[in-house]
Formats: sequence, C-alpha cells, structure tokens
Amino acid sequence: MHTSSPLKKEFLKKWMEGLQICCSSKKQMNVLERKKKIKLSADIAMASAKKTPMSWSNAIISDARKKEDDTILIDKLLGPEYSQFKVQKSTYRMMSCNKRVQCKKILKRSSYMSGGKRTKTKKKMGVSVIAKRLVKKRTKVLKRLVPGGESMDEFSLIKEALDYILSLKVQVDVMRSVVTATEILSDVKLLKSVVE
Amino acid sequence: MERREEIGVESFQFGEEIQSLMSVVQPPEAGNSFTALLELPPNQAVKLLHSPEETTPNIFPSVFAVIETDNSLETTSSIRPNSSPNDCNFVKQEPIDSDSLHNSSPMESDPVISISAKRKEREKKVKSSAKKSKNVADETDGEKLPYVHVRARRGQATDSHSLAERARREKINARMKLLQELVPGCNKISGTAMVLDEIINHVQSLQRQVEFLSMRLAAVHPSIDINLDNMFSAESGSLMDCNFGAMVSSLDGQMNENSHQHQHLWQVDGLPPQPLWGEEEVNPFITPENSLLSYDSSGTSGCLHTNQLKMEL
Repeated sequence: MHTSSPLKKEFLKKWMEGLQICCSSKKQMNVLERKKKIKLSADIAMASAKKTPMSWSNAIISDARKKEDDTILIDKLLGPEYSQFKVQKSTYRMMSCNKRVQCKKILKRSSYMSGGKRTKTKKKMGVSVIAKRLVKKRTKVLKRLVPGGESMDEFSLIKEALDYILSLKVQVDVMRSVVTATEILSDVKLLKSVVE
Repeated sequence: MERREEIGVESFQFGEEIQSLMSVVQPPEAGNSFTALLELPPNQAVKLLHSPEETTPNIFPSVFAVIETDNSLETTSSIRPNSSPNDCNFVKQEPIDSDSLHNSSPMESDPVISISAKRKEREKKVKSSAKKSKNVADETDGEKLPYVHVRARRGQATDSHSLAERARREKINARMKLLQELVPGCNKISGTAMVLDEIINHVQSLQRQVEFLSMRLAAVHPSIDINLDNMFSAESGSLMDCNFGAMVSSLDGQMNENSHQHQHLWQVDGLPPQPLWGEEEVNPFITPENSLLSYDSSGTSGCLHTNQLKMEL
C-alpha cells in the first residue's frame, strides 16, 4: 500500500477534533444526523490533512461552507483565514472554467445546427467514434463523482481522480480501524456491565 | 484554441527542459556528462511532474534561452543536424534518468511521483525511439510557437493543432496508465473506456465504504463522545493499530476474559451488517481484529484509567 502513516495520523487528529467540536453542541441527535456529522468531519479532515491542497479538497471545503449549519464547525476546525483564502481561489477558477465550458457548448450547438458535420460523419461512423462517445460518457460520470470535477478539463481531472482515490483509501483505512476499535470496546463494556 | 497551444507548450516544456540541460553540457561527450546530468534532472523533473503549472515561471527563462540560440539556426536544413544528436542522447538518457528518478525522490507523495516519472520516461522513450526508427518528416512549428520543436511521425499531419492534440492525448494516456496501476485489477484491461469504468467503480465503492463506516460509528455509541486522551498520549510514533491493540488487550487482561469470547461476541454482532456490505468488508474485519488482540500491552495500561468511551446504557 502506498498510504503513508503521517497522513493517516494527521487525518485522525483532525477528525477527532471535528468530532469533539460536534459533540460539544449538546444536541440530542438521531442516528442519521450523527452519521452525517461524522462523515462531514471525516471529509473535511481528509481535505485539510493534505499537505499540498488540490482542487477537490478545496471543493469539499467550499461546498461544506455553503451550508450554514456546518460553517461553525469548519471555521473552528480549520481556522478562519485558511478557509477564506481557499474559497476565493477555488471560486475564481470555477467561474473561469464554467465560462469556458459554456462557450464550448454554444459553439458546438451552433455548428451542429448549421449541419456542417453531417456530410462527413456518415462515412466515418466507425469504431473510433463509438469509442470516443463511450469515453466521453465515462468522463462525465467521473466528473460528477470527484468533488470539484465539474469545471475541469480531462487532463487535470485524471490527476485529481488519482489524488482523490489515494486519500479515499487512507480515509477508509483509518475509519475502519477506528470503527472496529470502538465496536470492540463497546462490546467489552457491555460484557462488563452484564457480568457485574 | 489558445488552451491547446498552452497545453502543447506545457507538454513540450518537459522535453525541452531535458534538452536544454543536455545542450548545456555538450551532448557529443556522452559518457562523462551523464553523471553530471543525473543530479540536475531528477529534482527538476520531479518538480515538473508534480506541479507543472507552478513551475512554469521557472521553466520559461531556460526555454527562451534555448529558443534564442536555436532561432539563429532556424532554417529547415540546419535543424536536422542540430537536433539529431539531441535525439540520440535523449534516447540514451532516459533509462538512466528513470532509474535515478526512481531512486532519488524520497518525498511523501513519493510513490505517485516516482511511478509517474518512471512511466512518463518510458512513454517518452518509446515515443522518441519510434520517431527515430521511422523516417522522420522534418517539421517545426517555428512560425506560431517559437519554442515547440516537434518531430512529426511519418504519414501524420503536421498541423500545429493536430500536433498539440496529439501531445495532449499522449499526456492523458500517460496519466491513465498511472491510474491503471493505482486501481486494482486494471492492469489487464486495455482501452480507455473500460479503464475509466473500473476507476469509476472503484471511486464509488470507496465512497460507499466511507458512508457505511460512518453509519456504523454513529450506531455504535449514542453520543459522539469519544475520549481520546489515551490514544494521543500513547501515540509515540507507532502505528495506530498498535495503540488500539494495546488498549484492547490490556482491557482484556483487566477483565480476565478469553480472547475467544471477544471474537465470538464481535462476530455475532458483525453478522447482521454483512449482507449489506458484501464480502469485501468481511475478511478485513476479522483479520485486523485478530491482529489487534494479539499485541502485547507494553506498559500502556496506565492510560486506561482515563475512560475510553462513555456509553449510555
């Protein structure tokens, strides 16, 4: 496995901090809300534990900040200056990328409407065109999956996906070990109470 | 349009950087200069790979230097003799370069970078040797982009757009190979669409695992109230698993119970969730549990006085 333990430790620390902040709010939450909070703090911990900020991590943080419930948590966890800086950078990039995407769409639509492409494609409707369509479909799906991937070109999307997969693996490993440990401990406690 | 040219420029900066470094050290003297070259390219190449956008300001001065020297010679006839020795040395350079890259990059995101460096080097090696073996049609983009010295392969379009397009595609393919190595079971699949399919499945399964794990954690204790003082105090540079194992096994010793009872309990508890999560979750759960219980408690029992979990029963 390529995962590194300093990253794991960093992630764990931040996650635990986030959880402690969550439970300091003293609300009675049901299971689903708890789960959401846990997942949220895990995601933010993962995004902020990276040493070199990638755009998916910025995207996670900026998305979470938009929802009003969680801004307090995020600000406490990350520190106010840090998160503001990230938000500015990511929104600027996204705006420019969205404009580019929209312009491309307009161009495509106009060329399609003018019917310029139809005469040539009849001959060449072969394997390559089908393959290209498949690849395009897949890249659309991947863009939806990777956070912040909507406004990215193919090349950086692949880089982001690489990084995202790596950190997801780290996240899953850490969470799994924490969960198994807490389950064992809770069983032990249960037994203890039963025995006594 | 601009974007493509930008990307084309970026992609050739890497090659240009190496060529510029080589031209500095007089390529015809092949044997001795390589060892000197070896120190320079790895660090810079690794930096380049990791953050191509960030290092563009550094690259441009050297690229412009190369361009200025080359512009004076820039007629079609003179470029041939000028660039063919570069090509030879480029090809020879690469096996050594890839080895040195692999060895000399001890950073945190090391595996990704070293693998990507290796793969990129191999890609370029294949590409440039292919260029050499076919009878190369000479071509420069000198009019539009002064710093793109491209060799077009025989029988392919020499339009600047298609060249940039090809460069972009090759970059994408190199990265796809990296991804293939990362995702298990992707090495045998050929074809971009299928590989992307696998990648998408992998990402989705990882995300689902995160969701389920957080659900389990939420279900385990009614209040998110984990007291982790002991975890952080016991964390003396060892892995987390060791800490958990120490905690668990010292609890074990306190209660005078067999490990069998633990396992039995845990498996009973673990059975209902299994059908939800499928087989991939089952095996890893049981084996870390065994490994946890087999660790010795090495003097961390003092930490247990601070309570681990506050359960509301």
